Parts: sequence; C-alpha cells; structure tokens
Amino acid sequence: MALDKIKRMFIELANIARFVGRFFKELFNPPFEFKEIIRQCYEVGWKSLPLISLTGFVVGFVFTNQSRPSLQEFGATSWLPALISIAIIRALAPLVTALISAGKVGSNIGAELGSMNVTEQIDAMEVSGTNPFKFLVVSRVIATTFMIPILTFYSAFVGLLGGFLNINQNENTSFLSYFYEVFDAVDFLDLFAMGFRSIIFGFTIGIVGCYQGYHSSKGTEGVGRAANWSVVMSMFLIFVEELLIVQILQGLRV
Amino acid sequence: MIKQHTSTIDYNDKVIDIHDVYKSFGTLEVLKGVDLQLFKGENLVVLGRSGTGKSVLIKLISGLLMPDQGTINVLGEQVDELDVKELQKLRLRIGFSFQSSALYDSMTIRENLEFPLVRNKRHLKRAEIDESVENVLEAVGLSQTINQMPSELSGGQRKRIGIARTLILQPDIMLYDEPTAGLDPITCIDINNLINEVQQQYKTSSIIITHDLACAKTVGDRIVMLLDGRFERQGNFDEIFDTDDARVKPFHDYNFID
Amino acid sequence: MSKADNKRSIILGIFVLVGIGILFAAIFTLGGQQNRFAKKVEIKAVFDNVEGLKTGNNIWFSGVKIGIVKAVHFRDDRKVELVLGIDDKSHEYIRKNSTAKIGSDGLIGNKIIVIEGGSTDVPPVESGDELRTLKGTDTEKMMSTLQVNNENLVGITENIRQLSQKVLRGEGTIGAALTDSIMANNMRTMMASLTQAATNTNKVTAALANFTAKLNTQGSLANELLTDTVVYSNLRAAVAQLQGVTQTASALTTNLGQASEKLNTSLSSPDNTLGLLLSDKATATTIKQTMVNLEASTAKLDENMEALQHNFLLRGFFKKRDKEAAKAKEAEEKAQQ
Repeated sequence: MALDKIKRMFIELANIARFVGRFFKELFNPPFEFKEIIRQCYEVGWKSLPLISLTGFVVGFVFTNQSRPSLQEFGATSWLPALISIAIIRALAPLVTALISAGKVGSNIGAELGSMNVTEQIDAMEVSGTNPFKFLVVSRVIATTFMIPILTFYSAFVGLLGGFLNINQNENTSFLSYFYEVFDAVDFLDLFAMGFRSIIFGFTIGIVGCYQGYHSSKGTEGVGRAANWSVVMSMFLIFVEELLIVQILQGLRV
Repeated sequence: MIKQHTSTIDYNDKVIDIHDVYKSFGTLEVLKGVDLQLFKGENLVVLGRSGTGKSVLIKLISGLLMPDQGTINVLGEQVDELDVKELQKLRLRIGFSFQSSALYDSMTIRENLEFPLVRNKRHLKRAEIDESVENVLEAVGLSQTINQMPSELSGGQRKRIGIARTLILQPDIMLYDEPTAGLDPITCIDINNLINEVQQQYKTSSIIITHDLACAKTVGDRIVMLLDGRFERQGNFDEIFDTDDARVKPFHDYNFID
Repeated sequence: MSKADNKRSIILGIFVLVGIGILFAAIFTLGGQQNRFAKKVEIKAVFDNVEGLKTGNNIWFSGVKIGIVKAVHFRDDRKVELVLGIDDKSHEYIRKNSTAKIGSDGLIGNKIIVIEGGSTDVPPVESGDELRTLKGTDTEKMMSTLQVNNENLVGITENIRQLSQKVLRGEGTIGAALTDSIMANNMRTMMASLTQAATNTNKVTAALANFTAKLNTQGSLANELLTDTVVYSNLRAAVAQLQGVTQTASALTTNLGQASEKLNTSLSSPDNTLGLLLSDKATATTIKQTMVNLEASTAKLDENMEALQHNFLLRGFFKKRDKEAAKAKEAEEKAQQ
C-alpha cells in the first residue's frame, strides 16, 4: 500500500507539473482574457485591501510595542524605527500579506473552481467554445501574481504607519525623523526583494488554488477539500519559498 | 402519452454516427463496442441505469472525453481527429444541457445567456445580443428572471435557463444529460414539453440521456437501451419493453407501479 | 462594457496606481535619502586593511554624511583601494591634502570612512584624486599592544614575588638585616608589654564599672561604705593611681610610635646601615628598575585605557586588568617593607 501511495504522489506531482506547464503555454497564447483578468484583479486586490490594511497596521503596531522592552534594556529605543523598518520590509509585509491572502484569496479560488468543477460549469464553458483554463486559471493566477505585490506595498506602508503611531505615542518621534530612520535602515535590494518575493508568493497562491479547484474530486466534499488544501499547500509553499529566498538574498548581500 | 410520430425526421441523414466505441476508466470498462446513429430531426432517448456510461457517451460526442477505440462522426467531422480550434468550432453547433444545469454562479442570468454569444461571435452588436437573449428567454418562458442570479432560481428554472443558454447559438444537435433528474413530476412534464418544442422550433436533432421512463415516453422518437456497455435494444417505447429480459423488465415495473 | 465593469476598472485603476505610487515614493525617498541618484565625485583611498568596510558604507566629514563607498577592491600590491563617491555639493570642502581613515559609526556600528583635515589654501579634490590615509584606531592592534603590556606586567609581578619571598626567608643582606636585627626582637617585646598593659587597663576599667554599679545600689554594703568618709577618700586615691597607670601606658604608645618612625627613616636614608644596604646593593637597583618599568607600563596602559575606555566589549578585560594592577601594588608594598 505504501508503494501505491508513493505512486499516487508521483502522479500528483506530474499533474502539478503539467498544470504549471499548461499555465505558461496558455499564458502566451492569444486570445487574452483582459476583461476577466481585470475582474479577478478587482476581486483579489481591491476586495482584500481592507483586511490586508488592518492586519498590516496591527502587525506594525504590535511588533513595535513588543520590541520596545528589549531595546529599552540597552537604552536603544532610538533604534526602534530601524528595527521595524527592517522587520516589516524584509519579512513581515510580504509574509503576512501572503499568508492572509492565502487564507482569503487562495481558499476562495479553490472553493470557486472546485464548485464550478463539481457543477459541470467548467465542462459547460468548454463546450460553449471558451477555453476554461484560460478564462478561469490564467486570469486568476495573473491576478494574484500582480495584486499580491501591490497589496504587500500597501501593507508595508500601513504597517510602518502602525509602528509610527506606537513610537510617536511613546518616544514622541516626529513623522519625518521616523521615516528618515526607516529609510536609512533599508536599501534598494530590500525593496526589490520585497517585490520579488511577493510576486512569487502571489503566483503560488494563484496556481495552488487553481490546481486544487480545477482538479477537485466531484461532490460537495471535494469543494471543501479543494478550499482547505489550497490554503494549507500555499502556506506551506510560501514558507519554503521564503526560506529559499532568504538564502539567495544572503548570497546577494555579501 | 406516447410521443406521436415526428414527420420531419430525415432517415437518410445521419448527424451522429458512432461505430464500435470503447471507453474505460482505469480498470472499469464503461463502453464496450457501442454503435449508434442519430438521424436529422430525431429525438433519441438513451435509457440505462445509473453508472452505465450514458453521460460518458454524450461527453464523447462533444469531445469532452476521447474514446479508447472506435470512431465518432458528428455532423460529418471525425471528433477524435479534430484539433483544438476545429473542435471548438464543431462544439458551437452542439448544445449541451448539463444534469446540474451548470449555470455560472458568479454571473446574472443575462450574463449567463450572452456568455456563449459574446465569446464566440465577437462581431455582434449590443442590440443583437440583447435581442437573442430575450428571444431564448421567451422560448423557455422565463423573461422575468433576466437580472437575477442563478442562486435565486428553482431547479426547474435553472434547467430551462441552461437549455436556453445552449439554444442561443442555434445548435444543430442538442444533448440533454438527465433533463428531469431531481425535479418534481409537474416540472418534469414542463421540461419534456420544452424538449419537444425545441425540436420543433429550432429543428434540432437530440440525444436525451435519462432513466425516467415518463420522459422517455414523452420525448423519444426512438429509444435505445444501454445494457452492460452496449446498446442491446432499440425501437419505440412499446417495442423496448415488449420483452422478458430480466435486465429490462424491472426498469419498467419500477417506473410504473400501478 | 457594462456600467459595473466600468466602475470596477476605475476602482482597480486607482488601487493599482496608489499601490505602485507607494513603491515609487519609497524608491525615491530611499534614493534621495541615501543620495543614490545625486551626482558623485569619485576619489580614491588606499588602505592596508579596511577592517570589514564594504560597498555602501557611509563617508563622514566633520560628522556629516557626504557620500558612500562605491567599490572595494585589491590593487596589485595587495593593498585595498576604495572608490569613494562624494556628493557633488560637498566635494568642494574636501581638500587635496585631507586625510581619510577608517572609523566606526557608534560603538558597535558599521565601519565608516572618516575624512579629516585639509587646509583652505589647497584646492578641493577632483575626480580621480587619491586621498592620504591614516591608520585609524585599530582595535586589533590595540589589543596586541595591551597583550604585550600584560605579559610585561606578569614578568614584573613574578620578579617582585621572588624578591619578597627571598626577603621573607631571610636570604640576602636585606633579609638578614631585617630578620636578625635586635631591634626587631626589642620591638616584639615592646609590643607584648604594651598588649599586656592594655589588657590590664581593660580589666581595671571593667571592675571599676562593676563597682560603680554596686555603689549605686541602695542598701548594699558598698553603698553604706560610701557614706563613710574614710573609705571614700581611700577610694579616691585608688582611682588617682589608676589614672597614673593609664597615662604611663599612653606614654609608652607614643614612644613606640617614635621608634617605628625612626625605623622607617633608617630604611630610606643612606646614612643608616640598613638604608645603605638597600640603596647600594644590586637588589635595590633591581627594585628601582622595577619601579621605572611599572611606571612606564602604567603610562602606556593609561593611553590605551583612554582609547578603549568606552568600548564595553573590553570592559571585562579592564576589570581583570584592574585586579592585576591591585595585585602588583600589593606585591610592591610587600617589597618595600
């Protein structure tokens, strides 16, 4: 039975590889579903903005508050802005945005495509002369790949504002000097790395959600599993990717 | 009420010709050498128990599945030999009514109906699209639902909208997958009548997959029975059940306990 | 396109625009603040050792950031050449004879290049110029100097220890003089007598206190006795004698003080035999040399201390150093006795 399991795992891996390959093939083949892409971008980006902003703000505020005592021990609370800046731009903003989006957007995609699969909507699309892969999968993956980075910029900005609010309350640091120190602590590599990794995270969320939904087993149970696995898989992959990206960046930085 | 003979059937014109088709999923052999012809203007009912591969048959016809063996000729085209574009083109001439209606949940009824039109006939003007939408809605008798969402409709209404959505491209062939499944008897009668109306009004040739004998009786010009992966019996309703075959009799008795 | 689609597109457009706007604002703030986009004058500086300085580190002039290190690479002679990007607007204040050295930003901060000096009659630097370099406060070097001092100090301490041991064992002339002296014997006796006297005085005082307490008790024998004038006058005489004893003891202490003072002077004065021995013999020279060495090392230590005193990483080291210094002082005192 173990052999069977391993066999199934390899088949699954092959399916995933084929799915990703098909995505890139269809990505560059016309016709392009611009209208659907815009619709999905709206759903993924704009509809997630309130949630992402709120989490970003809370993370910035709380992180600042929790970091203060250890810096206070050295009398180095003046380093708080630099600490927050590095933490938010290098790690927290992309990671928190990606994880929240995996929960919100990823599960949504998994469930939506899953239920479309179960109720034969994907077949219906195919027989009515529309390439469902292009219409459903490509548009969604493009949307997440481009919207997650933008959401990350928002969440970084709002997170830094959260940090500022906390620092302003406790240390009375002015807005200008706070942001001066924030930008003193990071460099271009940090900004680009933030963009780069959130593009990777966005792609992961989209492709995992779509794969799970598109290949969900028939039946209502399959929809639930598709939604659930979209979140679990993409979160797991995000952490693995983060680990790899950190290694690469360390190599670049030296 | 047994369906009266339809005079418009042209028995010289085979719109679908299936020959010796095999299809299996893993170790499960579903179709084992199927032969089937559909004539122009005819309503063909495929009867069979659940899981006997009736749906597989029409998915093969529309190219959603490919046969392991055998040939499928639809409207003069060899389905299993077409490339993606040609298949797409052929599919526009085939209407497919799904068992679960398959309305797009995220779109309104109007958007659902115009979806095939907008995406396949891009040259059409807004007014022409609107007119087509209103026409098919009227044909299925649901003009008032145009701005509603699919989730707001009943099962019967959804089924009708599903049929309307396939009609909007004015197909030559209609494939109905369990059109009356999950509906109450009165609604079933409505749907059956609709299928006959479509046959008359849109001049379609249809395959109706069902296990509902009332439906088969009402809409079928000819009935075939799928038994053990092959078509064993065919004829009109009375001919089919004029037998002692132990696989056929319970089918009839279960449906008509009176 | 329907109305809903239009509205959606507009909102999405605004959303994306603002999001990208945030990125652009960040890039320009970063660029402006770190002066990445400002025009630069590139000058060179060559060091033997850059102590971990890397591309992107800041350049300070009079405590103001005026540029960043653009490149770090080796020259053919294995020295390290730095390319310094100096902001166009600041480069006129840097003169051709200014010097560059490597410093650090804060106590444990990044390495920085510190540019200093330069006279106003010399023209400002131009692109391609090479600045003179100074060796900065090289922590490692400081540590190695300190290490040498440390070793010296250990040697000195060892010498002193051996010397004092010899003195104690009565080896050598001084030792013998010190141990065999009659004066020392006398002194010991004197001390013993004095201790005896002090003990006696104590006892008398205690008895007296006891007696006084009894005197105050009404109806006791002593109380009755007190009313008797004869007994009282006797008692007064006894107390007076006791006072006399105490005075004698005090005189004795004074004498003893003088005696020890004399001993001290005899040790330092060359007229005295003992003093002569100390100042003329080779051992005395050694001690003197020791003192000189010690003084020198203390002075060096002072310098280093000054340089390092704020560096908390070295704080532990200094604590140890203090302890050793105290030890050395003790040994020194021992030797002097």
